[in-house]
Amino acid sequence: MTDRRAQGEVTATEDGRLAIPAMLNGRQTTLVARPWHTLLETLRDQEGLYGVREGCGVGMCGACTVMLDGEPVSSCLVLAPQVAGREIRTVEGLAAPDGTLSDLQQAFIDHTAFQCSYCTSGFLITAERLAEEHPDASREEIRHYLAGNLCRCGSYVKILDAVADLLERRRAGRTAD
Amino acid sequence: MDSHPSFAPSGTQMQVPGMLDANLRVRGRVQYAMDAKMPGMLHAKLLRSPHAHARLVSIDASRARALPGVIAVITGPDLADRDDIYPYYGPIFRDQSVLVMDKARFVGDPVAAVAAIDLDTAQAALDLIDVEWEELEPVLSLDDALAASSIVHDEPPRLGQTFADIIVRTEANSNICNHFKLRKGDIEDGFAKADHIFEDVFTSPPVQHVPMETHNCVAWWENGVLRLISATQMPFSVRAQLAEIFKVPQTRVRITVPTLGGGYGAKTYAKVEPVTAVLAQVTGRPVRLHLTREEEFVTITKHGMQIRMKTGVTRDGKIVARHSTCYFNTGAYADIGPRLIKNGGFGTGGPHKIDNVWVDSYAVYTNLAPAGAFRGYGVSQAAWAYESQMDMIADRLGWDPYEFRMKNLLNEGEPVMTGEPMYDAHFKDLLATAAERIGWDANVKAVRHGNKVRGKGLSVIIKASVTPSTSSASVKLNEDGSLQILSSAVEMGQGAETTLSVLGGEVLDLRLDQVSITHPDTDFTPYDQGTSSSRNTYSMGTAVKMAVEDIKQQLFKLASDELEVAIGDLEVFKGRVQVKGVPERSVGYGDLVRKARAGNLLATAVYASNGGLDPETGQGIGSVHWHQAAGAAEVEVDLDTGRIEVLKYHAGVYAGRIANPAQAELQTEGNIAFGLGQALYEEMIYDGGQLQNGNLGDYMIVSIEDMPKQISLDVLERHESHDIHGIGETSLPPCMPAVGNAVFRATGVRILDLPITPEKVLRGLRAIARPQAHGQEIDA
Ligand code: FES
Ligand code: FES
Repeated sequence: MTDRRAQGEVTATEDGRLAIPAMLNGRQTTLVARPWHTLLETLRDQEGLYGVREGCGVGMCGACTVMLDGEPVSSCLVLAPQVAGREIRTVEGLAAPDGTLSDLQQAFIDHTAFQCSYCTSGFLITAERLAEEHPDASREEIRHYLAGNLCRCGSYVKILDAVADLLERRRAGRTAD
Repeated sequence: MDSHPSFAPSGTQMQVPGMLDANLRVRGRVQYAMDAKMPGMLHAKLLRSPHAHARLVSIDASRARALPGVIAVITGPDLADRDDIYPYYGPIFRDQSVLVMDKARFVGDPVAAVAAIDLDTAQAALDLIDVEWEELEPVLSLDDALAASSIVHDEPPRLGQTFADIIVRTEANSNICNHFKLRKGDIEDGFAKADHIFEDVFTSPPVQHVPMETHNCVAWWENGVLRLISATQMPFSVRAQLAEIFKVPQTRVRITVPTLGGGYGAKTYAKVEPVTAVLAQVTGRPVRLHLTREEEFVTITKHGMQIRMKTGVTRDGKIVARHSTCYFNTGAYADIGPRLIKNGGFGTGGPHKIDNVWVDSYAVYTNLAPAGAFRGYGVSQAAWAYESQMDMIADRLGWDPYEFRMKNLLNEGEPVMTGEPMYDAHFKDLLATAAERIGWDANVKAVRHGNKVRGKGLSVIIKASVTPSTSSASVKLNEDGSLQILSSAVEMGQGAETTLSVLGGEVLDLRLDQVSITHPDTDFTPYDQGTSSSRNTYSMGTAVKMAVEDIKQQLFKLASDELEVAIGDLEVFKGRVQVKGVPERSVGYGDLVRKARAGNLLATAVYASNGGLDPETGQGIGSVHWHQAAGAAEVEVDLDTGRIEVLKYHAGVYAGRIANPAQAELQTEGNIAFGLGQALYEEMIYDGGQLQNGNLGDYMIVSIEDMPKQISLDVLERHESHDIHGIGETSLPPCMPAVGNAVFRATGVRILDLPITPEKVLRGLRAIARPQAHGQEIDA
């Protein structure tokens, strides 16, 4: 049993659901879900990770974005069994274990990059990947990269400012080293 | 997307963060209603009508009830049999029933509700409910509605305790839900004085609010009290409605409201709460209902509108008469339509000094999804008409649209359309700044580069705040000198809780961390009419300030005994009362509270604004103060594809005093995103009463890439002003006409029907190629 889990194999629970081993925010976990349940539902209902939110259910709004093996995905489009043996990171996993906010989270606060903040988790995850992948992205490139995340409150100007500022800060940090 | 805000310092000593709980928000830990979990909680699903207009012949839920895991199924006819339930609701007319009782009035009208142990089971149960319908002729358009060959509501409306400001004027055997009239001056005389008269028809489609968090609530019954955690902008309205439905005193309904994931008007008045509360009662367990995005689209919308506007001008450019006939499509149920048509109706008078105005504004029933409050509250539709027409008139007469506006905008003390004098008028300043920021040049209409052409457009609007209206607040000063505000203002992203903490805290010169504010809880936080219509900062802010001012006077009284000086010689400074200018002679708030042996000092204040309009003339007090805003857009139109890009946008709004600069900017920028969506993309498309694009794959909202690369803001503040205007939605209505006017200047194509799509622009370009005048002048 332990072996199979470690290999990321899905097993059946006694009540006919699936036990799905995965790394979740740095911790080995077993997700329990029906075969047709989405990762979004599973993270919310089973794991209580309410920072992952549904906005559209069809992959168009990005509110449900999580990192799957380091890539942002819409968790509403991923079925829970698909994450077996893989690594998931949600907004709850962005801060350091001691609770210190990441520089990206801090940049969102400094620029007040939200109103209702329903979309914020998704933007943070996407922007985190952007910063890794394109540390020198221009404002234009940031706009393009974030186009799959919708914010109905229209906090876009401040979101762009926050992300551009973050890249700037990280660049300054790199040259200082 | 560079923004250049022009804020003046706002006079407070506090460090004002955008949002008090920002830390939780970036951790994904802020709690929305949908995150609430109750032990034994059931999940609800609704069976909805597949027909736009159909009589319910029979409904049989026995197969669904037999499905393992289903705890209860309720239907409309079940409710009709119950003496302990009054199954109707609606803020003005009780024209909506908890579930369809006699007939369905739109595709999506709920007819049965299931509560089951999980969502999968609830969903499966829906397929096992057998319904027999008899289809009726649907009323799908304004024309259908006015032809009245089919009637959406056959019986006269059941009235609730009516709103003080609404005159019920419903016509029997017709689809007219209500009628608002405004009669200012002598309209015939006005047109007689005109040298030119223009008449045009403008339309706006229904659109949806698309709050990222859809409607949801959890309801349960506890010792005979109905409890709810709900994503609502109006806990007190919902409480009153539920008390009426269950025939219990309002004290037996208790609603708490966590932060909202967006509202924009969608979450005003009862929506998902009645049916969820009935399920909770029937099952004896907590029940959650959380709408899908598709369901959200048909729950409430912006009113589709048609306005026929006739305006008379003199040859020297003065507007002397305006006649508007407005039809607001309120859909299947009235919701707040009867009030909205009033604001939208008198709104057509615009920010201009016009001596003779005649308005007939109608809310009209159809078999489409119900329409209600929507950011802008009828003024977007009105402004789309009058600000488009301003440019059309200027163009026809060869005037500069900027000068034509300047000539007619209201000056200080001149009467607005409702007859009251305009105070604190800033229209001209706002327009001048907008023109400057966009680089307005009367002589340059369009600039062409290859197949792309650029043009600029302007607009200015006026908007009422809900009047009359009431807010109340309670405050407690604790014996450690900290201040607690009990308010029913709903935090929906506008930073209400932060702003109120600032306004309250500064009266006692406290630091922000010494002030706390509770979420609305109808058992503890005092009455508020609701968080809408940009009224919160002003109305609730005033109540909070009054209450804290009362505490201050109590402190002065105690300190005057303590320090043995007259009250007039005291002041507050950093959490202490001191003799003016003598910090050595001071006493801390905490000491005073302890001395008083009261445990805490308490105060409550009620702020109620007065006003109202004469039922026959629409003259009186339309607003305690009038919100003012301007917009300016520069667009680039691709002549081959008709594609429009908004290159630059400027938003100007008068704010009185700004309590929270970061939030003022955010709300203004948010309005730009909202407005550009309505200008260019948004439209609910129906076919045979069936919504075709009720999901975010097919219904386009503005993304970060659609935002203009250059945005400038002019949040106009008057330093000496203590008057907090609140700016919530004010900068929204100028967007659509500013873009429409810019497209016209660029291309010569005048779009009268929103949204301004590439197809319409291309069709217009082709029509211009065949020479033909745009618009018509009549009776010149
Ligand atoms: S909910 Fe997954 S993308 Fe919208
Ligand atoms: S802040 Fe409300 S949706 Fe983005």
